[in-house]
Amino acid sequence: MPALRTAAVSFLNARPLTVGLEGSSRIQLVLAEPSACAAMLERGEVELALLPVAALAGHDYEVVPGLAIGADGPVQTVVLAGENPPAEWDEVFLDTASRTSQVLSRVVLEEMGLSPRFTPLPAAEGLERARGSKGALVIGDRAFWLVEGAARRPFPHVKHVTDLGRAWNQLTRLPMVFALWAARPGVLAPEDVAELARAAQHGLGVRTEIAQAFAREAGGDPEHYRRYLTQRIRYGLGPYELAGLEAFLTRAAAAGLLPPARLRFADDVVRSHRVRRRVSLDAALQKGADGERLDRDEAEVLDEKAPLLELGLAADLRRRALHPEGVVTYIVSRNVNYTNVCTTACHFCAFYRPRGHAEAYVLSREELAQKIDETVRLGGIELLLQGGLHPDLGIEWYEDLFRWVKAGWPTINLHALSPEEIWHVARTSQIPLQETIARLVRAGLDSIPGGGAEVLDDEVRRRIAPLKCSSDEWLTVMRAAHEQGLKSTATLMFGVGEESRHRVSHLTRLRELQDETRGFTAFICWTFQPEHTRLEPGDNSAHAWLRVNALSRLVLDNVPNLQASWVTMGGGVAQASLHMGCNDFGSVMIEENVVSAAGTTFQMDSEEVERHIRDAGFTPARRNMKYQLVRA
Amino acid sequence: MLSTLAHRALERDGLGDIRDKVMAGGRLDEAEALRLFEARDLAAVGALANHVREARHGDLTFYNRNVHLNPTNVCVASCKFCSFARPDDKHASEGYTMSLDQAVEHVLSKRPLGITEVHIVSGLHPDLPWDYYLETVRRLRQAWPELHIKAYTAVELHFFAQKFGKTHEQVLRELVAAGLTTIPGGGAEIFAPRVRRKVCDDKATADEWLAVHRAAHELGVRSNATMLYGHIETLAERVDHMARLRALQDDTGGFQVFIPLAFHPEHNMIGKAFPGPTGYDGLRTYAVARLFLDNFDHVKAYWVSLGERLAQASLSFGVDDVDGTVLEERIYHMAGARTPQALSEAQLHRLIRAAGRVPAERDSLYHVLRVHAQAAPARTAARLPVSA
Repeated sequence: MPALRTAAVSFLNARPLTVGLEGSSRIQLVLAEPSACAAMLERGEVELALLPVAALAGHDYEVVPGLAIGADGPVQTVVLAGENPPAEWDEVFLDTASRTSQVLSRVVLEEMGLSPRFTPLPAAEGLERARGSKGALVIGDRAFWLVEGAARRPFPHVKHVTDLGRAWNQLTRLPMVFALWAARPGVLAPEDVAELARAAQHGLGVRTEIAQAFAREAGGDPEHYRRYLTQRIRYGLGPYELAGLEAFLTRAAAAGLLPPARLRFADDVVRSHRVRRRVSLDAALQKGADGERLDRDEAEVLDEKAPLLELGLAADLRRRALHPEGVVTYIVSRNVNYTNVCTTACHFCAFYRPRGHAEAYVLSREELAQKIDETVRLGGIELLLQGGLHPDLGIEWYEDLFRWVKAGWPTINLHALSPEEIWHVARTSQIPLQETIARLVRAGLDSIPGGGAEVLDDEVRRRIAPLKCSSDEWLTVMRAAHEQGLKSTATLMFGVGEESRHRVSHLTRLRELQDETRGFTAFICWTFQPEHTRLEPGDNSAHAWLRVNALSRLVLDNVPNLQASWVTMGGGVAQASLHMGCNDFGSVMIEENVVSAAGTTFQMDSEEVERHIRDAGFTPARRNMKYQLVRA
Repeated sequence: MLSTLAHRALERDGLGDIRDKVMAGGRLDEAEALRLFEARDLAAVGALANHVREARHGDLTFYNRNVHLNPTNVCVASCKFCSFARPDDKHASEGYTMSLDQAVEHVLSKRPLGITEVHIVSGLHPDLPWDYYLETVRRLRQAWPELHIKAYTAVELHFFAQKFGKTHEQVLRELVAAGLTTIPGGGAEIFAPRVRRKVCDDKATADEWLAVHRAAHELGVRSNATMLYGHIETLAERVDHMARLRALQDDTGGFQVFIPLAFHPEHNMIGKAFPGPTGYDGLRTYAVARLFLDNFDHVKAYWVSLGERLAQASLSFGVDDVDGTVLEERIYHMAGARTPQALSEAQLHRLIRAAGRVPAERDSLYHVLRVHAQAAPARTAARLPVSA
């Protein structure tokens, strides 16, 4: 199969998306200016391009989901520059390299009530002439040299620089998307999309190295470039980035600057099939019910074919064997989401906001103190602290926070930071994973929530959350944490269109790690909640949830506890799950933002939780995170 | 065929005798029904109920396209579980009474939506004349000849008989002549006199309710039966309720479906002291009903009261009917139900299919109109279209 001819820009900000494609057998890169990328794609000289978004208008290109180059505030490399501020300009020289930035300049200037004349001119010439009543649009790495304090300043007359990323964000409170992967219709296979996502994941992981290499080539401070790549540029294309993109295309069309555009996405569902040996459903059921270890083939057959109540009856036998006393436990804890700022832009998430968004927040100490006080007052013994991947928060911020919590509320269990967040902290702070965990533990971390696992199969993971850490990385963090004596939970979010082999591979990977470490205390699964997100759900029904719980009880023979997540399913369905594998009613959560941002939630206080447990025929008991019983 | 796992679980729970009886097509007595209620083994009892359900209907799961009409909520009865009734139709008390024109128009306006049934239930209004009720049916019948008119609970029909000096049979004959086709199952609550005295002592008694249905069945009018569970009644009183229905059904065969209804606690008297049944209680009630009511064809989970998720789960615990699209539901929503106001046919199909069942549209008499064996083609736009 011939490789896809692919055009991409050589700018620094594109390198995290392209560096991992070097040597790819699927994708063959040609480097070019942004406008040349667009022209080559239009003429069919390439099949795929890192395309300035303006070039989407008037074409029926297919966009690669999840990946883009954008910013939710200052971008640094798309600017208007001149000796004087834009209000004094009567003419702007437009860099011919990118139509997107040209349109953006016009939109922003018009919003400022300015209508200078626009004249196309190459950037270097434009900048030279940006004096007096003239200004220039500059894009790409040469914009680095315009600001005070730059390593070199070839245009010292430039005193005023207007960052168009910042201006757009102030105008719309939305991120700006500058470029994305787009292909001529029908040429992209799902495997190509997966390859681009894999490359992006690799590239984002080596941004420090990319920054160092760029500093060697071009001069300047590698740390400055690293911050540019990690804190300024956003590589996700989630709901907010799409809203920003839509706003841009709409405004441009309304102003007559671009023809109307309609986004089409490339198919990203990989359909490969492992050859499965023939397995008898009855034999697999019996094996599961007897507590024998199920292999992947058996688990897949159960997942696909076993009727709900058969799975349920088998899982119930396992629950009875593991928890013969008929006690169903729960914990009183508070789920605090310390920030909703996040850079991964997962397709299934309705909670995150870009940093520049009006609803973006980082909780203050006062707000936190009030929440913790309330938790203690309501009998809570645990703080479940999770948040987005905020590009500005380093390990010191977390250490200070944990110490502060432990100093003020010494008895509160700090169940904090999912593997994704720990990975992010280690990466942002540039310290090894083991050391990151050790420092967090010294600061007060008690245990780790198993969130962000989603589906631990990269075929699915890259599709729904291309910028999240990989399955291996998630498991690596968990292994490292368990090795340092931390306990954690494990989760599965399903109903995102994955197949049974993906769910099963998720469960067996957890089981393998648990064989090694014994660090998982419990497993929790929930369904994808599609409201306000752009991902089409697969089967996320209550029926499927009951089935997956029961299957998990059978496959995860080494994980002691199964939590029924009633928050999304409701008390009644959760009660049914107590008869089909679950032995824990999760937590009386005083708040839960992430799920409720995506739609349905149910609420119960501890009295109501206990009534549900009792009514279903079990004895309720309060526990801590280690599943030890505690007094109410 | 009942699976090995189910057999073993039932034996472990000491329910082997009940299983044997059910498998041999025998009839459970009240003590056995009570044992099933108290077994606290949802998976095992569910599996037995599911066996009966599948033996009767396979995977077929029934629904219809219906609209509700509640012409008035003014009611002289004072049922303590009710959040819908108001003492009069003055504005401040949120009471309302539709004019005949309004009531008829309310239904006719839904005609473009492919509705096959109107479900009419009202309060016991102190002043409305007999003609109002007759005319509602007559006008609907004239304007929309093929519409099924399922109208007036036994409690209302009994109220009409008393108020207008007629026998049950006369009331029914006049309504049938006007165009009524079936009778809804509401107002049964719990038959036990102890419970009725406490929660609804000023409306039709159990005997009167049953007498109305008997009269209807004798005229060839089929009807439904409900049970309001999860308030002050005991499990034995639930079993007694079902036993009375089963006995009448033995005589007449006129009931089509049994519909357990969950008590909702908001905005009513009982709700102040009782929180309402849990979902578990609902699921076991469906399962026991399926096993005990051997002469009822159908057991229905009313999704409006149960929620879509629990209604879907119930399809593995003996239920074969999920009611319908239910446009314009008022009664449960005034009692705090958080379910949507209506489900589209496509949503119902998805709910049923995801439970591994096959949706079958029925009419009010449980004739199958269409079996939707194949899923509709998947939506082509896999992602949110963004257009500029």
